[in-house]
Amino acid sequence: MTRRKPRRGSGRRPQRAKDVLHGPAGTRGDAFRCVGCRLDVPLAAPGTAHRNHCPSCLVSLHVDGRVPGDRAAGCRGRMVPLSLSVRQDGEWMLIHDCLACGRLSANRIAGDDNALALVRLALRPLADTGIPARAMLAL
Amino acid sequence: MSHDNPQHRSAMSSPSPMSSLETFTCVRCGLTVAAYAPDGSRRNHCPSCLHSQHLVDHVEGGRSDCEGRMAPISIAVLRTGDWMLVHRCTRCDELTSNPVRGDDNQLILMRMAVRPLAQPPFPLEAFGDL
Repeated sequence: MTRRKPRRGSGRRPQRAKDVLHGPAGTRGDAFRCVGCRLDVPLAAPGTAHRNHCPSCLVSLHVDGRVPGDRAAGCRGRMVPLSLSVRQDGEWMLIHDCLACGRLSANRIAGDDNALALVRLALRPLADTGIPARAMLAL
Repeated sequence: MSHDNPQHRSAMSSPSPMSSLETFTCVRCGLTVAAYAPDGSRRNHCPSCLHSQHLVDHVEGGRSDCEGRMAPISIAVLRTGDWMLVHRCTRCDELTSNPVRGDDNQLILMRMAVRPLAQPPFPLEAFGDL
């Protein structure tokens, strides 16, 4: 497979600096509680500085607007993992879908994310034999 | 026949006999595409390269003034088993999901579906023992 050239000149833009409030009343906080499985999740995560989902059940909470970390959305709906996407450099991205308003968002997976849940998500398109089998026969 | 009216892809109306002649031009490969799939549903992405155009604002609703090219990034599966195509705008990074149509390019769809397993971030051998 040929590699496409990076679309923004000299690679990706640097990550925005984020000062995200995780505490109960707008305080800084050092942990959050998962809305899916009620696990207490520390903010320090291997492999990422911007953890936004539970490492056990991969569920997230809809609090950000357009910019990650801006806390601009008043929705606060539960965001369930919808699919996996792969970046040009091979990193897995988790696509979340808000159950309340249908908004989609993407976040890099963390080093301690549940591997079984991730692989189940990656295999979901291939689990149903209808469409993939038809696609392979059509090629 | 109009080829470049951007309203074609944002309107969600039932096809009338005249509108079955509507077309739009793909922003990536330049293919002239019929606005309705063979099963009568309106399409919003090119069946050949699966790229779309950012015309609907999904955060605030209504029409988007971005009009950037939207690249397909992953396949999502609904509870019904239907495939959805997740697009990302190459200009403003907004995400949208749209149903896959029957005449979409199966090679690109399958390539996206198996892409995560081609480069796993952890060894998959351990899952054989589970």
